[in-house]
Amino acid sequence: MTAFPRLVRAELYKFRTTPGPWVCMAVVVLLTGLGVTTSFINGDHGVVHFSAPTTTEELRRLMGAGYTAAIVMAPILGVLCITTEYRHHILTSTLLAHPRRADVLGAKVVASALWGLFMGVVSFAMLAAMGIPLLLSEGGSLRGLLDQVGPVVPGMFAAFLLLAIYGMGIGTLVRNQIAGVILALGLTLVLEPIIVAIFSSLAHMDVNFLPTRATQAIAGGLTPHGPGGAGATGTAHLLLSWWLGAVALVVWGAGTAVVGYYTTFRRDVT
Amino acid sequence: MSAVHAAARGTAIEVRGLTKRFGAVTAVDDLTFSVAPGRVTGFLGPNGAGKTTTLRILLDLAAPTSGSCVIGGRRYRDIPDPARHVGAVLEATNFHPSRRARAHLEMLTIEGGLDSSRIDAVLDLVGLTSDARRKVGGYSLGMRQRLQLAGALLGDPGVLILDEPSNGLDPQGIAWLRDLLRHLASEGRTILVSSHLLAEMAQTVDDVVIVSGGRLRVQGPLSLLTSQSQSSMRVRTPERDRLAAIAHAAGYAPRPVSDDTLLVDGATPEALGPIIASNSVVVYELAQVSQNLESVFLELTTSMTGTAASVEPKEVVPR
Repeated sequence: MTAFPRLVRAELYKFRTTPGPWVCMAVVVLLTGLGVTTSFINGDHGVVHFSAPTTTEELRRLMGAGYTAAIVMAPILGVLCITTEYRHHILTSTLLAHPRRADVLGAKVVASALWGLFMGVVSFAMLAAMGIPLLLSEGGSLRGLLDQVGPVVPGMFAAFLLLAIYGMGIGTLVRNQIAGVILALGLTLVLEPIIVAIFSSLAHMDVNFLPTRATQAIAGGLTPHGPGGAGATGTAHLLLSWWLGAVALVVWGAGTAVVGYYTTFRRDVT
Repeated sequence: MSAVHAAARGTAIEVRGLTKRFGAVTAVDDLTFSVAPGRVTGFLGPNGAGKTTTLRILLDLAAPTSGSCVIGGRRYRDIPDPARHVGAVLEATNFHPSRRARAHLEMLTIEGGLDSSRIDAVLDLVGLTSDARRKVGGYSLGMRQRLQLAGALLGDPGVLILDEPSNGLDPQGIAWLRDLLRHLASEGRTILVSSHLLAEMAQTVDDVVIVSGGRLRVQGPLSLLTSQSQSSMRVRTPERDRLAAIAHAAGYAPRPVSDDTLLVDGATPEALGPIIASNSVVVYELAQVSQNLESVFLELTTSMTGTAASVEPKEVVPR
């Protein structure tokens, strides 16, 4: 086996043999389950009731039940991929086995993307296992749900994959594990909404290239789930087209990784 | 020991004019030395002497400010599949605490393109077979050192570079390590092992490279260094000057240390006693003062102004 494929295999083996990625996976399952549940909670003139989603928007929200899991956990997985190496000094043995650092970072990008994709598969498995029986038991339309596969599923898989790369880029930049996780969550859940509020609403500037907005663009205009959270697709027309959203996420992921490579990853390993 | 296959013959390590600065601090200063195959070379010096920095540069983990390091004529990064040729133990903390020891070695075989069938052999070699399925977080420091060594030996390398490998080992472990290194060197491998304790390495190494303050102090066979660890005779006598003349005539270099005491370097009781008796010198006290290997090492490493030199035995035998 040539060096690069085996480096990717080694990175995936590292994921498999440490608890962090499995904890991320467990949280993906939980958040997806929460997303499924909230897709059945509908409000009507101030009255909240539990019923099967029926409209296109409601069914799309159910199909995208893993959206919150994607925007929260995929970047964290990527952060863990690189910062675990620094935290436990494993990078030393990695570089002893393969001293070419660009190859090592490239393998981490690919492995993060693959594990992110795996998280997406698990998320949809959770959706199928919980959402479909619940939909049928509430008298909902399976055909209506399946009609949303095209607009949502490819984009969701892409979101899991690309956001994991984005997280790895953040981890490469900061190296410290706790700082990386806080930064990834802070950017997604705090900073981006503030930037959107300020620049989009007040200054009418285009901020759709930001990671979360780009993720919404490729995943059918979904937004985070939650009681009262619309999971709305109503603002989809304000987002980038799906392919521009994908390009934006690729640039965010590759950009942070490349900047991290030149600013921190090539430093002396002590 | 049979678990380790006969290795391809080791290759020489060459360090030439190596300098590493961290801001205003010069950690390694124009260091030049070589390490020969088939021998255990001790890379010795006090803490902060620049040993670990040198080894990290040698292994391409850090960049030199100037100078070069090669293993078998190539930089580490230019060695194809380096884990097959060079095994390294740098510190006992390069583990994920939640990963099991066997999984750690499996990870190394995947990364290095090594044969995973050797995992059992190296675990057996370092005595960790029964603990292989335990998480490394529960390992003692000594067990981690053994696991590091197992990882270094996975590729059956011709060159071993070990940074303070005896840290955390108990006396039995140190004796085991000594035997292992001697055996590996006897197979023709190149072994460079750093330590800040010469006494601990004295029974293990063939050659020494002694550094202090980032600079080379001594390089050469240990046998030449041990020749400096001579004994002297301290003689208290009312006839100090007469005895000094007699000793000088006998080929020694006596040194007065007080009004009635003389230090005769290189002399033994068996040699000096008959000389004193045959010349009827009055003696109040005759005592042997030995300078051991450790004190030679301390003298070399605390002398910050000396220049690098090969070890030359002093002329201590009677002419």
